[in-house]
Amino acid sequence: MDKLRILVIEDDKLAQTVMGKHLAANLPDFASDMKTAEKLLKAGKYDICFVDLKLGRDDDYSGLKLLPLVRKSGAYPVVMSSSDDEETINKAYALGCKDFYVKGNEAQNIKAVLDKYTSHKSPQTLDDIFATQIITHDIATRTMVTEAIKYAPTDIPIMLLGPSGTGKTRIARVIHEHSARQGEFVAINCAAYSEDLLEAELFGYKKGAFTGAYDNRKGKLAQANGGTLFLDEIGSMSQNMQTKLLKAIEEKTFYPVGSDKPEHSSFRIISATLEDVQQLIAKGKMRFDFFQRIHGFTLTLKPLCQRKDDILPLIADFSKGGKRLAFEQDAKTFLLNYDWPGNVRELKKFVEMVSAGDGLVTLGIVQGHIASRMRLGTPQAAATDGMLTNQQYELAMTKGLNDAIDRFAWEIIKRNLSANNGKKARTLEQLKISTRLLYSTLNKFGGK
Amino acid sequence: MELSTEMRKLLHDIDSKTSSIKSAAKLLRECEPQERKEMLTLMKAAAQEVMDCLTELENLSARQI
Repeated sequence: MDKLRILVIEDDKLAQTVMGKHLAANLPDFASDMKTAEKLLKAGKYDICFVDLKLGRDDDYSGLKLLPLVRKSGAYPVVMSSSDDEETINKAYALGCKDFYVKGNEAQNIKAVLDKYTSHKSPQTLDDIFATQIITHDIATRTMVTEAIKYAPTDIPIMLLGPSGTGKTRIARVIHEHSARQGEFVAINCAAYSEDLLEAELFGYKKGAFTGAYDNRKGKLAQANGGTLFLDEIGSMSQNMQTKLLKAIEEKTFYPVGSDKPEHSSFRIISATLEDVQQLIAKGKMRFDFFQRIHGFTLTLKPLCQRKDDILPLIADFSKGGKRLAFEQDAKTFLLNYDWPGNVRELKKFVEMVSAGDGLVTLGIVQGHIASRMRLGTPQAAATDGMLTNQQYELAMTKGLNDAIDRFAWEIIKRNLSANNGKKARTLEQLKISTRLLYSTLNKFGGK
Repeated sequence: MELSTEMRKLLHDIDSKTSSIKSAAKLLRECEPQERKEMLTLMKAAAQEVMDCLTELENLSARQI
């Protein structure tokens, strides 16, 4: 590996000597004051620059003032300080520092910085990616991912389609890691927020903008400056929000909630949805101009049941570093025949559960774990995030939340009554519900 | 009690110098004799600076009592 050119901006002679020892395998230069540092940064092309916050006894954190110049020079900025107060750290990161460490453990800190820099600068090969990050032997999926990686260094937006649990977030992160973007990978699940909250999360807000806004808060758009903004479950975003986000993407400026000052942010968009995008557009749920803006390269991920060759390699990957699992042949056959409606996420959970038991996995153990997961709902229900299924969500959207809750209560009561041969006393006891709720639900739905 | 700016600066310097001494101490055993000698000189100078800072801090604290 080529030696790295490193600039250390540090006024303390002893600290310089220590740094020099740790960086001896590379090409370190030293600057003890602002003037020398500026001169060296302007003249030389450094790979990494370590900056001490204070240069001299009465210095007023001039290391921070150097950060914009370090960034401009193309060097990877690292701040080292004996002060680890939150305000200083936040300020350093806001000014573009990539790493901040507290002095005192140089051997470990410097090694971590060099490792991070080297891995960032030497992107993995496709073979490495398929061996460690995206485990798949499916030729179509490999082709798609390979194609997506080619687009990684460009600004072209990428849309990831596929059922829940197929690894869309992981692929988005891999694309970001191969984009050579200096900024962060910032992910947000659009379905997890109401419209107002989503706006505040994305655009940030100013103190006092609404009840509960006790302080200024940076939004995801600002955080993703120079990096990637991953919008998961984009199909759930309202038309109103789509309009606002479209404007921010096109103009690269936006207004935090409660602010009249525009802020700038330049980011790459990767979006994901499990819904049919053409249907969303046809139903008027997604604006066509918004779709055009976020859609460049599309990668469609297959559910796990359509790439069963990946099941055993994925199990091996999930159990790496933990207990070694040995599956009996009929247990393997069962796993390969099972449809995994929750996809890779369900498989991962399964491995975690099985790993808690014996190393030898029998058919009975596999069936026991899968049956217990199935009891939580239908295969379709298991395919969703948390406890909420798409069907339940759609029902709440069409009938209203109260009506939907009544129906869920009825489904649970109906199943329990059936399991207890219609004995209401047992249902009251097992479900811990009031007689009033039982009879009102029976009156409402029992005759249907 | 809120520390004065001067006291905060002194504490920062003490932190910084002691961290350097600690890091240097970890390196001592792998240094060549000449290198070790130079390192020890720098460490002693840093330790003296820590002493100076502590004395100053002591004086400032005494004024507050």
